Amino acid sequence: MSEKGEVDLTGAKQNTGVWLVKVPKYLSQQWAKASGRGEVGKLRIGKNQGKAEVEFTLNEDLTMIDSLGDKPSGVQAPRDHPFTMQTVGGQTLAVFTETQSGKEQISLEGLVVQRAECRPAVSENYMKLKRLQIEELSKPVRLSQQLEKAVTTNYKPVANHSYNLEYDRKKKEEGKRARVDKQQVLDMLFSAFEKHQYYNIKDLVDITKQPVSYLKEILRDIGIYNVKGTHKNTWELKPEYRHYQGGEEEEEKETND
Amino acid sequence: MASLGGSSSSSTEYIVRVPKNTSKKYSIMAFNSGDKVNCSSWTQARMERDMSNRRMYGVEETEGAAGSEFGKKQREEARRKKFGIVTREFKVEDQPWILKVNGKAGKRFKGTKKGGITENASYYIFTQCPDGAFEAFPVNGWYNFVPQAKHRTLTAEEAEEEWGRRNKVVNHFSIMLQRRLREQERGPDDDDEEGEKGGKKKKKKGGRGGDLRIHDLEDDLELSSDESDSSGGEDGDSKPKKKEGDVKGKGKKKKKKKRGSDSEANEDSDDGDFEGLEVDYMSDESSSEEEVGEEKAKSNKEAVPKGIDEASESEEESEEEKQNEEEGKEEEEEEEGKKTPVQTKKKRDSSGESDTSEDSDIDGEAASALFMVKKRTPPKRGGGRGSGGSSRTGSRPGTPSIDSASTSNTLRAAASKLEQGKRQVVGGSSESPAAKRLKMESSSTAVTTQSPAPSGKSTPQPPSGKSTPSSSDVQLTEEAVRRYLIRKPMTTKDLLKKFQTKRTGLSSEQTVNVLAQILKRLNPERKNVNDKMHFYLTE
Repeated sequence: MSEKGEVDLTGAKQNTGVWLVKVPKYLSQQWAKASGRGEVGKLRIGKNQGKAEVEFTLNEDLTMIDSLGDKPSGVQAPRDHPFTMQTVGGQTLAVFTETQSGKEQISLEGLVVQRAECRPAVSENYMKLKRLQIEELSKPVRLSQQLEKAVTTNYKPVANHSYNLEYDRKKKEEGKRARVDKQQVLDMLFSAFEKHQYYNIKDLVDITKQPVSYLKEILRDIGIYNVKGTHKNTWELKPEYRHYQGGEEEEEKETND
Repeated sequence: MASLGGSSSSSTEYIVRVPKNTSKKYSIMAFNSGDKVNCSSWTQARMERDMSNRRMYGVEETEGAAGSEFGKKQREEARRKKFGIVTREFKVEDQPWILKVNGKAGKRFKGTKKGGITENASYYIFTQCPDGAFEAFPVNGWYNFVPQAKHRTLTAEEAEEEWGRRNKVVNHFSIMLQRRLREQERGPDDDDEEGEKGGKKKKKKGGRGGDLRIHDLEDDLELSSDESDSSGGEDGDSKPKKKEGDVKGKGKKKKKKKRGSDSEANEDSDDGDFEGLEVDYMSDESSSEEEVGEEKAKSNKEAVPKGIDEASESEEESEEEKQNEEEGKEEEEEEEGKKTPVQTKKKRDSSGESDTSEDSDIDGEAASALFMVKKRTPPKRGGGRGSGGSSRTGSRPGTPSIDSASTSNTLRAAASKLEQGKRQVVGGSSESPAAKRLKMESSSTAVTTQSPAPSGKSTPQPPSGKSTPSSSDVQLTEEAVRRYLIRKPMTTKDLLKKFQTKRTGLSSEQTVNVLAQILKRLNPERKNVNDKMHFYLTE
């Protein structure tokens, strides 16, 4: 998108003024419950002897507070909230938005002309609300609880664990690893070493499904065992068999039998 | 919207809505009041996330068959889990913004997210709709935007150096100038670095390649500030300085080339290798060169035909410079001496070559410009440093004695000439050879400034009109006192302050004695200023 990063400056140009209002947590929670068009209340702006007074009144239907737990809280959110108006100060506060969906467009919505704090009018309701909040917060996160009976559901003595049984069965079914043709094993090894240079013996056993001793014999032929260095106890191919520049020719790695 | 008339107040009611379905996320862009940002003056702006903190984990290992182990990734992950190493996830929403206003030539801002704004209270943006109702949008993030400096700044190490010299450096414009010159010098040397970073940033990056520098703006710097730098120092004062800076720059090129190659090797050093090693940086010498003034420029250009007298005049300055250069160079070599003994040897050779110029500054001056480029032992510096000095002197035990033997002839001749023309300055001169210096330091005897150098070389010190010494040592010589008194009247207290015990290596009592003797000999004139007895000399 050629416009990515381009900021739409219409808001700034028009000098759109907005208010930045700090709202208490419980109020924003109530607002989240609004339905329909999202009406949450009324804002009354008045001029009382020269001073502007702003007050927000919460809608009736949004005053029910849900509390944690099952019981209804019986607490109502206060309805009246006078705004404390503050100036922006010297700071320049701009508001910008990003659209999330697909095309990300950043646009400058406007500048903050007024700051305000929404305070609840002190009332009985508010006190109850606060008390509820404090109670919830003061609950410890972790709780020690005494149990009446000892827990017996976890571990029972078992003749043989189910997991173990499965494991044994799997082993038996697989059987001892059968030695296949050396050539086949070599092919498997070479293709493995094409992918990585260093291998653990266990991993190789897993890959080739050969008994360890047999595999070791073959490896001793074509590979070397790294004891020191960064690749602790790993096997790698002998240099003459290596071909790591990309584009491996497997025919070249024919071993001499 | 209903209008209610209240008593003595009029108020209007507006409906407040909190829209539910906005796809837009609102954030605050906060600027500092001091920056005087006016959003309406922006013609265009671009803003993107600053992704520089994204670390690509796991991509660092070599992909492909060679050198890789089977299951390495899983093993690495298991290991990290075992040790409890938790790598923080890279969240795009928390990354800072880079805002560029008015295109390439305009301002740049970096906006860092301010944490914790949604923890206890929520911010809402109230906008008024055309229908009169208010709409409230919650604020998702708060970003503080600060302007990014386009002019060049000092890195942390350079800043620390400069801080150490803040009392001595008068001309602050020169600081950035010297830095730029230094980088220009290094530029031709660091070819590989240049190649990487492209032509435009050559100059700036050339310097970077030299040392390990911690610099935030490394990627973002633009070259236009080069001009603005010079424009910064445009008052009359700095113009001549700039000129001489250029001259000096040329003069220094040779030396710097070598230094540049030295400094390249420095990159390989690990942290902690040089802890405790006090190093003198080039900038140190450069400030002293600044103060040396035009005389230095002159001496640079006309080294060859210069007469002895002139040479002796500027001898002290150039000597200082040489010492500085040499010392600085020595330092560098010193450091690499640990890895590349060849370099130190090279230095020895070069100093062996420049025997003649070594102690007697006069000779060095008279010889040629070439000698000036070659390094000389900075004995003064060697004494002044702590560990650095001792290690340095340790590394060159033999040279001074060798030098002294071979140069005595020519030096004597030059010395006798000088003696005729100038007052003989006694003893502990700043040009004393390394050996003498060593002796002085180790024996820690008071520098009886009266006695001539014990090493069989008399190095008379002609006076010079040198301005304030750049750093470390000032010898308590008659010459030095003379200089001060000529320049301005001083009380004994002032004089004592000039010859601080730390620097001259004398105890305070000795200083007082020596100073008293010198004053007696000089017999300066007295006058009373502010009820204090000042001494002064007229020449």
